[in-house]
Amino acid sequence: METFIHLDDVSMIYGGNGTRTAALQGVSLRFDAGEYVVVTGESGSGKSTLLAILGGLQAPTSGTVAIQGVPLAALSQDRLADFRRETIGFVFQAYHLLPYLSARENVMVPMSPLPVRAKEKAARAAALLASVGLAGKEERLPSQLSGGECQRVAIARALVHGPSVLLADEPTGNLDSATGEQIFDLFSELHRRGKTVIMVTHNERNLTRATRAVRLRDGLVEEDRRLSPLVPDGGTRTPGG
Amino acid sequence: MDLKKLAWKNLHRRKTRAVFTGLGIFLGIGTFVALVSLTSQMEGAVQDKLDRYGANILILPRTEQLSLGFGNIALGGTEVAHATLRVKDKKAIESIPHRDRLRSVVPYFLTAAGTSGKEVVWMGLPAEEIPTARPWWKIFGTPIDGKEEVLLGSEVAAALDKGPGGTVTAYGRAYRVSGVLRPTGEKEDGMVIADIAAVQALGRKPNAVSYYEVAALCKDCPVEDIVAQLSQALPGARVSAIRQVVESRREAVDHFRKLGLGVSAVVLAIGGLMVFVTVMGSVQERTREIGVLRAVGFRRRAILSLLFWETGWISFLASGMGAAAGGAVSLLVAPHFGVETPGIPPVPLFGGMLLGMTLGLLGAVPPARKAAALSPTEAIRTL
Repeated sequence: METFIHLDDVSMIYGGNGTRTAALQGVSLRFDAGEYVVVTGESGSGKSTLLAILGGLQAPTSGTVAIQGVPLAALSQDRLADFRRETIGFVFQAYHLLPYLSARENVMVPMSPLPVRAKEKAARAAALLASVGLAGKEERLPSQLSGGECQRVAIARALVHGPSVLLADEPTGNLDSATGEQIFDLFSELHRRGKTVIMVTHNERNLTRATRAVRLRDGLVEEDRRLSPLVPDGGTRTPGG
Repeated sequence: MDLKKLAWKNLHRRKTRAVFTGLGIFLGIGTFVALVSLTSQMEGAVQDKLDRYGANILILPRTEQLSLGFGNIALGGTEVAHATLRVKDKKAIESIPHRDRLRSVVPYFLTAAGTSGKEVVWMGLPAEEIPTARPWWKIFGTPIDGKEEVLLGSEVAAALDKGPGGTVTAYGRAYRVSGVLRPTGEKEDGMVIADIAAVQALGRKPNAVSYYEVAALCKDCPVEDIVAQLSQALPGARVSAIRQVVESRREAVDHFRKLGLGVSAVVLAIGGLMVFVTVMGSVQERTREIGVLRAVGFRRRAILSLLFWETGWISFLASGMGAAAGGAVSLLVAPHFGVETPGIPPVPLFGGMLLGMTLGLLGAVPPARKAAALSPTEAIRTL
């Protein structure tokens, strides 16, 4: 498989007023296209920082990040924004839907600045909402949807530009376990459709669906192991090397 | 869903903030339009009223200073009149191209005459024109009614010890004192005022005129033009604008205009500040939302556009309503400020709307720039 994302000796130091916190310390990782990576670790281990750096939301203090061979540091802010829109879909723990917009409009938000016809935007949003199981709920506001439904809307929003990689930060953190399972199923489905999924989670159960597990501890990669391919009927899995 | 609609939806959600932001522009533009409309209408009204309050052009017979001497010995000089003015000259005066701007043309005749034992100057003018020529005169008694009646200046009345109902005599002829002028501080305090025909008869110069006073309405044309035309109409006369009167009137109107503009500028500055503060507050409040938009691929320019659309919507609506309200207020209050035919001048109305839009957008520049420069990193920390 081709290397899709390449992190080389990436460190991220937060500091100020005499304090200095190393969120990541010389992390080097390669992610291939089509992988389903679950990043786990304790609070403060650097998971969310890793995700922000992978998505070009945050520049590392040192080291390089390259996606499809393009170093992110070489991109201007506008090119980085284009890159995020075209390549990456973000899913956040707290959904971060705009509360004054309907589900359909929330999905359309990333397309707002683009010169795409309104009908086309609406049709694309409706199709995506249907694909995440929200057909018939397009006009509901986030306040009229359950937590699981809100997260589905957020996933549909992340998919609206057809990104090749989905970055999810604790996507089930605000959901009950049953609803969380449905969201994991949805990510598995998206992975099967060819998306690269990199998910930060506390939930070790999700490892059963992933192709790779990365464990961080104090900003360092403690464990990086490949898992055996998914067993469609839910049978046993064997850890990969 | 595009940026315009996204901005509109956000405003709809934050109605109170939008109303507060718009309030600054509404009040600023409303005040601006009301004051500018009112002052521009009042400028005309004030000028008209000032022009009606006395003359601003004086027409005298042309004179020349003639020096007298013998050899190197100077014996002083004297003024020699080239021509005298006549009553019929009024027709020539009233035939100039700017005749529509002439509110009144009043002939005066002055002569000295022994009056009840004292030498006094008599001033004659058409009795029926006294109210328009000298509107500030306060008469104790009644106005002149005919050739046999006179008004006495306050000093003359005191010197002759005469009052309303009394009689004064000049050249053996008796005149009834119809009234006494309250002190004016002018030369007429020491004069006897009568109908011009009576004074011409007294001076034995029928149809002669000492000078003309012209009250010209100078709102839309410079007084110099009128003076030039009068000079052309009366080649034998010396026509001059009473500069002090003209300048003081112009100054009064200018002060008024400056006051209006000054007040408008202050209110507009406050309005702009309100926009700045509320939009800045909105940006602070929406750091997370802006972070999400940046995360889903909004360029800085798109964030700028979004905030400008929001402020643009508010500015457009608030300016429109402010201009309409300001125009309506000026229309309602104009009659109380002496404007006889109130209207809404289009320039302040549309200028105000344009100014409101510009003000709103300018006020949003610093916060919008701040929002656009907001790093997704900063925003992501709040996620």
